[in-house]
Amino acid sequence: MTALLEVRNLSKQFTSAGGPFRKARAMHAVNDVSFDLPKGRVIGVVGESGCGKSTLARLILRLIEPSAGTLRFDGQDLRAKSPGEMRRLRARMQMVFQDPYSAIDPRYTIARAVLEPFKVQGQKPTQLPAEEVAALLSMVGLSPGLASSYPHQLSGGQKQRVGIARALALRPSLLVLDEPTASLDVSVQAQIISLLQQLRDELGLTFLFISHDLRLVRYFCDEILVMYLGRVVEALPDTDAAARHPYTATLRESTFAVDPKQRRVITPLEGEVPSPFDLPPGCAFADRCRHARAICRTDTPALVAHDGHAVACHNPL
Amino acid sequence: MTSTTGVASRAMAGFGKSALGRAFGSWLGKIAGGFLILLLLMAIFAPWITPFDYAAQDLMNGNTPPAWPHLLGTDRFGRDVLSRVIYGARTSLSVSATAIAISVSVGMTLGAAAGYFGGLFERVVMTVVDLTWSFPDILIALIFVAIIGPGLTSTMFAIAIAYLAQFTRLTRAQIVQLKRETFIEATINLGARPSHILLRHLLPNAIAPVIVVGMLAIGDGIVLEATLGFFGLGAQPPTPSWGAMMSSGTAQLFLSPWVIIFPGVVVAVTVVAVNLFGDELIRALDIRDRIRGA
Repeated sequence: MTALLEVRNLSKQFTSAGGPFRKARAMHAVNDVSFDLPKGRVIGVVGESGCGKSTLARLILRLIEPSAGTLRFDGQDLRAKSPGEMRRLRARMQMVFQDPYSAIDPRYTIARAVLEPFKVQGQKPTQLPAEEVAALLSMVGLSPGLASSYPHQLSGGQKQRVGIARALALRPSLLVLDEPTASLDVSVQAQIISLLQQLRDELGLTFLFISHDLRLVRYFCDEILVMYLGRVVEALPDTDAAARHPYTATLRESTFAVDPKQRRVITPLEGEVPSPFDLPPGCAFADRCRHARAICRTDTPALVAHDGHAVACHNPL
Repeated sequence: MTSTTGVASRAMAGFGKSALGRAFGSWLGKIAGGFLILLLLMAIFAPWITPFDYAAQDLMNGNTPPAWPHLLGTDRFGRDVLSRVIYGARTSLSVSATAIAISVSVGMTLGAAAGYFGGLFERVVMTVVDLTWSFPDILIALIFVAIIGPGLTSTMFAIAIAYLAQFTRLTRAQIVQLKRETFIEATINLGARPSHILLRHLLPNAIAPVIVVGMLAIGDGIVLEATLGFFGLGAQPPTPSWGAMMSSGTAQLFLSPWVIIFPGVVVAVTVVAVNLFGDELIRALDIRDRIRGA
């Protein structure tokens, strides 16, 4: 299986400008992330808010310029591409955004929004524009009658479907989903997830699915990357693999079972996520970890793979 | 973020018929808008509706009080005040509107470029533009009068520069805010060029408040034009201008007050009408919070 997307040592630092009265500070939003996304697979990225998941998505699509690392998409070095080449390549790597409410220009009709990808790429739709709009809308389960509506006349779920239709208009091979259901009602979440699943099967898409919802990721993805403060702390080769990193274990423990009789004691994480500015040496999770030892506070653990299951911990479970 | 989009979507029709229609909805809007339309028609059809030639002197009948056939009286040269007020509308409206149109076009271009590109360019543009704010309007006008001499061109330039900062700042603020909206990122991710983002997304969403503030500025422009006319720096005789008429009226303030009163009243009522109607438009478009601070 060839990797559609190859990410190596990807890092992003945001630096705050220094001045006469304060020091310039660097924030490591994404730190040394590497993984392969094979064609047709779905990799889930989970982690608390602020752990760099969304930044990772934007780095991969070069919506934010990475500080270091390499990105290969379908064998091509993305970071070596000129702006013009990158613009053309974007047709093949699309994204669905977290906030469907502001993802469509409020002045655009749905038809215009859905046809915009063709216009922007200088492509002609294969069918008549009106037919193309109808086909795209019905592909995402919307009535073609909505074509002449404006975004404010649609519900959140409908808008997210329009966002998906826009992303799929140019038949991309990679779709990055940045918490596509996070701002939707639970019932609508389920509809969007099953739509995505169905589209994946029909169009043979490759997904990078970013979420903070471990259960959703478990249901939807083939592999899972667990992020903590900009680093991948564990890469699970399949969704049922036993957690080896204490952080993953705690995340798993804190999901509730559907059966109310299956009550169990949840041990919530103590402490807070350290500031991403001026990270302490050692494992970023050490202060909150029940299994932390002396070495955890001095040396940063490397992500070491064992039978395809990688974990960055001095003391794995 | 969502609130901006909400506002933008409510103002979605932008400057469409519906918003204008809603501005005319209240009785205030009807009166103010009606007056402005009347004024505009007066200015356009001035040659056909004025009872006398605005420049025709009749020295034997100078300073006559309002009475038939000179409904608003005559000035000291015996010229018909009503005809001059009507022609004055032409001067005031066209000078102010042209000046504001120039100011809006230049200000929007500068503001959009500054907001979109940011960086050093933004700093330089905004500093230069802000500098114009530190000079009183009259001083700017005097500079132009010193360079190109008194007249309507100087007046126009002075008004255009006096309001440039306002439009530049307002446009820049809109663009900076809109740039952070998800739909901009989404469109960049479709592979759109910067020109597409700017012309098809950012500017269309930023234009409504700028147009409304521009309309309000026309009222201020009329006052500035009248002020310059009053000091003899604007319209030159015999071109009728409300400010110049008031200026010539000061000499006989107690002998024939109508010469100064009628142009003064027209200036005041026009400015009030522009402001009231502008307010109604702001309400109809629901963009009050986007205009604040401009």
